[in-house]
This record gives sequence, C-alpha cells and structure tokens, in this order.
Amino acid sequence: MFFDFIKRNSRRTRKENGIYFASLVVSVVAFYVILSLGDQNVMKYLKTLESDAVAKLLLMIPMLYMVSLFFVFFLVYCANKYQLQRRRHEFGIYLMMGMKGSKLFTMIMAETLWSGLITLFIGIPISLFLTELISLATSRLIGMDIIGYEFSISWLGLGLTMFGFIVVQILAVFILSLKMMKEEPVDFLNEQKEKVQKVLSTKWSFVNLFIGVLLLCLAYVLSVSSLDRVIFMMTELILLIGIAGTFTLFRGLGNLIGKWVKDKSNLSTGLFVFTGRQLQENVLHQWGSLAISSLLMLMAMIFFTYGISMPLAQGKESRSVDFTFEGYENSERDIISVVSSDKLSSYIKDYYPMKIGIVSTPYEGMPKDTVTHDFSWAELEELTSREKDSEDKEYLLRDLSSYKDSPYLISLSSYNSLLKSINKTPILLEDGEVALYSDEDRFSYTHNILRRVLKSNPTVSIDGQQYELFSTLYTSNIVADRAITLAYALIVPDDMYNDLVDDQENPPRWNMVLDSNFVQEKGLMQATHEIDKLLSPTGLKYESYLASMGRQLFYIVAGSYITFYLGVMFLIISNTVLGLKFLMQQRSTRHRYYTVSILGASIKSLCSSARTQIWWYFGLVMSVALISSIFGFRYMVKVLLPSGSSLANSTTGWIAAIVLAAFMIFEICYIWTIQRKSDEEIKKLKEID
Amino acid sequence: MKISEKLLQVKEIYKTYGEGQSETAALKGITLDVFPGEFLGIMGASGSGKTTLLNCIATMLKPTSGQILLEGENISSFKGDQLAIYRGSKIGYLFQEFELLDNLTARENIILPMSIHGEDPKKQEVHLQKLAKQLDIEEVLNKFPSQMSGGQKQRVAAARALISNPSIVLADEPTGALDTKNAKKLMGKLSSINQTEVATILMVTHDANAASFCSRILFIQDGVIFHEIRRKVPGETQNAFYERILTVMAQLGGGNNNVL
Repeated sequence: MFFDFIKRNSRRTRKENGIYFASLVVSVVAFYVILSLGDQNVMKYLKTLESDAVAKLLLMIPMLYMVSLFFVFFLVYCANKYQLQRRRHEFGIYLMMGMKGSKLFTMIMAETLWSGLITLFIGIPISLFLTELISLATSRLIGMDIIGYEFSISWLGLGLTMFGFIVVQILAVFILSLKMMKEEPVDFLNEQKEKVQKVLSTKWSFVNLFIGVLLLCLAYVLSVSSLDRVIFMMTELILLIGIAGTFTLFRGLGNLIGKWVKDKSNLSTGLFVFTGRQLQENVLHQWGSLAISSLLMLMAMIFFTYGISMPLAQGKESRSVDFTFEGYENSERDIISVVSSDKLSSYIKDYYPMKIGIVSTPYEGMPKDTVTHDFSWAELEELTSREKDSEDKEYLLRDLSSYKDSPYLISLSSYNSLLKSINKTPILLEDGEVALYSDEDRFSYTHNILRRVLKSNPTVSIDGQQYELFSTLYTSNIVADRAITLAYALIVPDDMYNDLVDDQENPPRWNMVLDSNFVQEKGLMQATHEIDKLLSPTGLKYESYLASMGRQLFYIVAGSYITFYLGVMFLIISNTVLGLKFLMQQRSTRHRYYTVSILGASIKSLCSSARTQIWWYFGLVMSVALISSIFGFRYMVKVLLPSGSSLANSTTGWIAAIVLAAFMIFEICYIWTIQRKSDEEIKKLKEID
Repeated sequence: MKISEKLLQVKEIYKTYGEGQSETAALKGITLDVFPGEFLGIMGASGSGKTTLLNCIATMLKPTSGQILLEGENISSFKGDQLAIYRGSKIGYLFQEFELLDNLTARENIILPMSIHGEDPKKQEVHLQKLAKQLDIEEVLNKFPSQMSGGQKQRVAAARALISNPSIVLADEPTGALDTKNAKKLMGKLSSINQTEVATILMVTHDANAASFCSRILFIQDGVIFHEIRRKVPGETQNAFYERILTVMAQLGGGNNNVL
C-alpha cells in the first residue's frame, strides 16, 4: 500500500510539475552524453588511428564526469527544492495525521528513487538518440561524410549514468529532507512566507554596483588590449576580474532597480510598482544565483562559438589523394603490381607517381664534393614586404624566409596527373616559367597576399638563372602522407626537376585515388578501412589521407564535442536554475498576488506583471552575459584558435551572430515556458468566476 | 446618495459547501442592509458563518443563491474584469494579518489600489497625506513593513483600504493580530474617520471591545442572523454599549436558548 501511495505521488508530481521532471531528464542526458564519448563512431575510428591522443582524451572523461556531477547536482538540488517546497503543506498534513518524521523521510526518499527510475526509463532513450545525433553532427561539422553509420551503445556509460544520476538525486533530496525534518509541523502548514525584505544601505549597494561595472570594464579593456600579444597568465587574470565584476554588479543591481521603481512610482499606474519591487526582491535575494547563471550563459555562448569555429578554422579539407605509397629504389614495379592486382583494381580510380624533392642549397661545413644549387626567391619576398602591413603578411614572410634554404620542388607531370585525377585543368608552363604551390588547408590565410603578388610575376633565381613565377597559385593537396603539410613548393618542368633533385635521395611517391562510387557507398572511413586491410599484407609502406588527418581530426572532433557538451550543459543549467528560482520566489510570495487581486488587479494583469518580471529577470542575466560575450568571443578567437588560422574575422563574426541568434531563440522559448508555468500558478488564485 | 438610501443590500444569501450527504450550509438565507456612513459590526462564534458572509460581500466567494447589491449593482453576479473594477475602488479591505506587500514601502502599499485602477497617484497625494495624518503613519510612509510595528502596519493597511474613497470598507478581524493598546488606537482612528468622512465600514469581529466602536451590531449563529443591537445615540456611552454586547455574547455562547 505504501508503495502504491509512493507511485501515486510520483505520478502526480510528473503531471503537475513538468519543469521538475524535465530537469531530471536533462541531468540523465548530460551524464550519458559525456560518458558515451569513447564509444562514439568517430571516436572508435580515431582510436585506430590515434590511440595515444584518444587515450589521453578518455583519461579526461572521469574529470568531465566529476564536473558534470557537480553541475548536475546543482541542477537536481534546485529542481528538488522547488518540488519539495510545492508540497510542504501536504507534508504538514501527513505529520499532523500522525505520520512519524522518519516515515515521511522514508516516503520522500522512496518517491525520489521511484521518480529517478522513471526518469532513467525516459531519459536513457532520449540520451541514446541525442548522442547518435551528436555523433552524426560532429562528423558533418568536420566537413566529411566519413561515417559508415553504426548505432552504438556505451554500456559502461549507461551504468555510470544510472549510478551518477541516482546518487546525485538521492543526495540532493537527502540534504533537503534533512533540513526539512528540523522544522515544526506548523511551519509546513503555514504557507512559506517570503524572506524579510532586505534593506541594504543604499550607499553600500551603489558602491557595489560601481565596483562591479568598473571591474567588468577593466576585464573588457584588458581583453581588448591583450589581443595584440598574449601575456602570460592574462587569461586567468581577465577571468578572475570578470567573475568578480559580475558578482559585484549583481550584488549592487537590486537597489538600482529599487531606486528606479521609487523614482517612477509617482508617475506610473497599473502594477508597475508591484512588478518592479518583485523584480528588485528577486535580484536582492538571488544575486549570487543570477551572477552564476549569467557566467554560465556567457560560457555557453563562448563554447558554442568555439565549438563551431574550431572545425571551420581548420579550413575545408580538400581531399585529392586517398593513399600515398612511400617511394624507394625500384618501388615503381612493386607498387604498380599491387594496385593493378585483381583484388584492388576495381576499387581504384587512378594511381600516378608524385615527385617531390628538396633542392640542396649550400650550407656551412658541407663536404667539398656536395652538389648544391643556389636558390633565391628574394623578389617574391620583396614584393610581399611591400604589401599592406598585416599579421598574415608577417606569417608569410616568416615562412618564405624559412623555406628558402630548403626549397621543395614538384615535378610538373606529377602535379598535372594530380590535377587530372581531380578533374582540373593541367598547368602549361612556358620556357623559363615555374609555378608556386601552397597547401590549401593550413596556409590559406596567406593565399590572398600571394595571389596579389603573383599577378606581377616575380622571379625566382636558381643557379643564377631567373624563372618567372606563373600568375596562378596552385593549392590542391599533393599527397596523403605527412608531406600533406608542405607549406610552399615550386612546380617545375620535369627536366628541370631531374636536374635539380637527386632521385636517389627523393624517390618518387605514388598516389592512389579510390573509386568515387565506392567511397560514396561506404563512406570514406569504411572505404579507407577496407583498402587498408587489403594493403597491409603487401608489405608496402603507405599512409592514407584519413590516417594523416587523424590527429588533426581527433582534436577537432574531441574539442568540438566537449565544448558543445559543456555549452549545452551550462545553458540548460543556467536557465533551469533561473526559471526554478523565479518560480520558487513566486510561490513563496503567492499571498501577495492574492492580496493584489483582492485590491482589484485582474488575473490577466497579474499574469502580465509576472511575465514582465520574467522578461526582466532573464533579461538582466542575459544582457550582462551578452555584453561580456562580445569581448569574450574576440579574446577566444585570438587566444584559443590556432595562430594564423584560416578563419577570417568576418567568419567568426558570422558564427558569433548565428550562435547569438540560436541562443536568443532558445532563451525566448525557455522564457515562454516559464511564463506559461507562472500563468498557471497565478490562475490558481482565481477562486471566484 | 441620501442617507436613507441603502448602500448595500444582502438579499436571501445562501452558501453551501460540498454536495450530497456531505453538504454543509454556512449561510442560510441572510438578509441585511447597510446604510451610508454606518459602522456595522458582525459578531458570532467560530463557524457561525460571519467570515463566509464577509467573503461573499467582498466578492471573494460566490453565494450559492441570493443577491448582494452594492449601490444597486448585483456584485455577486460579477465576473472577471467587472469584479476587478469593483475590488479596491468600490470596496476597501482590511485584513486580520494586514496583508501588506513586504517588498513595497508604506506609501507604495497605500497607493497600490489607485495604481491598479489606473488613476494618477499624484492626484491622490493630498488625500494620502490627510489619511496619513489621520492614521498617524506620516513617519513610516517611506518605510518597508519589516521596519514597522504591528499597529503601524494595520494603520497603513487601513489607509490602503480608504485611499480610493470606497463605497464600503470591509474589515475582517482587523484587531485580531494587535495588542490591546494598538487595537484601541486603530478602532479609535477608524471610528473617527467613519464619523468625519462618512465612510461606511462593515467589520467582522470576535472582540467585544472593538465592536463597541460600531453603531450597530448583527449577531450571527449557524448561518442566520440571530440578534441585532444598536448603539443609542446620543446617550449611550461606549462602555455601556460594550456591556450590552457582552450580555448578548453570553446569551449566544451559553444562554438557555442555546443549550444543546
């Protein structure tokens, strides 16, 4: 019978208090999403490529789990506090009817456990669906259809989710019930009165406000001024000042609202004063929660922007080669026999040699008989230095200067084979002409400058002879192995290549391109994996595009995933805490709404007053977060994204704008939900009609 | 309105709670009239129905049948906006627990009904100052309720009930949460405002002392009006009236007619 009673109560709770229940489901999802990271498709594949890096990440998961436990505890504690507060009167009645305190305690704990189990029952399928969605979205974000999709469940993740959630839920209710058990039955039966109006010294609160604004401005100024050069410990200092500023600002904000209400009270009609004073009280009593929520919102926005910017900052990976075989003496015969074998040939679209080599330039202490060549691209450097000053120009000059001692050459026929295989027009070089190659993915930030400079056809000097640089810059990736990161090279006619590069030292690599239908059908990840299996017994040394991209891919995926996860968690927690705090305050001041309705306010105007309070309540928190985010975004882009990333400022601006828009839409929807809940509560006052 | 005209007419009011076998009748056909400028007291034992009657008049409760006419309008049939217009402007309320909003200053509490009804609070400044002086709350106007004594709180609540010049002020045990000294002070102020401003007050009370300030008292028992007494004016002192009230109360509580 006791169990039936618990089940009935739990059902009623779910029905009456959707926000409570939704908060619990969110907690379950939060746990599973982070715990299942290691079992996600992308991660599983990356493990085969970059097991060290993945292992390091997986070591981080327990830490993230602990962080989640902390934040989720905060959320669950708030949700349960709200729920228990709603039922105080009912508990008072049980006690007056003779229920022992210990029995009431057992009942609450049993209900908590039962609700927890039902939450898990509903939350886990949602978590599974969501993690799959995230897995797909992450792979999309990195710009490739690399997933041969497979549904996966992390059993360990599931176990830890259940354990973590139940522990957090029970602990939160245990603490709350323990506090409650110390109260007298009469405290339960009387509607909980609001806290006494705090009358802070106006002077002191304005000092707080002033210091808060000052600290925040200082943090903003520091973040802007340190954009040019990153100073050691500056990020920590800015964060510290910003956090202190936010707390102090909210501490002083209550009295500012009070002063505003007082100044306006003689001029305004309707429920203006009531609305303003309710808001003031909320801010005065909950400045700490407001500051925390505001900081969480700020972090959420910055994390979202970072999560999106990071994959984009890597540029769109342009895959032109799937496998590159390492060259060695007489490698041509072995490689051709493998790739043209029956097993492989049907999967292969094209294969061709890729000749890349370094020109030996004179250096101090070299042996006397060493064959070297004089090389200089001084004119290219000179023209570049005349370009408008910019960070990108500095990077380009630094690169050009570092490459001039060991310039790379690519043979024209090799590069044309590559262009042909990706359906691009081959290069036609006239006598005395060479072309410039630069890696599209990692060095595209210098390409605009290079393209401008190339228009004036600067010359390069090799062994005293001048060669004009072709006006087009070539950027298609040349190989799939580690030379993929080659920044700059010259594409030269084959004769010249043979003259300048020692084939013995630089045996030609071989590139292999997979059949596009095969890739499309299997997904790049699966296709690479299958060919890998066929190639590994042959003893040839090779690297795949995916493998060489693995490390980079890994950081992108892991980074995006974690930042997104934290972003979503912070956003949900900040909003739930705000929403619940507001509803709790509204509930404890319920009798005020009743009094005001007796004094002639219609239910409609009371609802509208509460709606205005909610807009302001969330608005204050959001606006501080939004202002801080403007500076936060800029600082984050500068400090956290890789230096010289290909992401233009305007792109980051757009991403920030999109994130802001999504954030606003989410907030508006959430505010509406809380407003609807608040309306429901107020409509309960309607005793007549 | 002429003094002889009825301000409030309560006609055959019935109020029952529950249904079927659990049906309980709280009011069993009460009829009464209140005249302009009257200070009417309603007394009765717990459960007699006096608070139910006040709540019906206050539009907080809808009678099962019967009519309540305020200045000729049947307020018991009002709904939604119509009710809101009447509350706070035509009817002023004084509660046992004051029901001041703790987060509003005394001034803001007092002008709240005016603001709610969209009236310019500035225009009421003179009235506010006058009431504050009459009720001796000038010094607390800018204070929050937590900074006031119980007596001050109830006098602020009285000013709030009177600020909009309502047709009638309904007071539910206004001295219930006050000590004797403050109760006497409040009643003195209400009585004086009743006489000087011709404000009509209908008060429900247990307290014979408070009731002795009234000009007429109705005694309710088991949902019906059981007895009515008037203070003889001029001639009867407040003390004499108080004695008469006690006599009726004794009859109500333990008279021969009421032995179960």
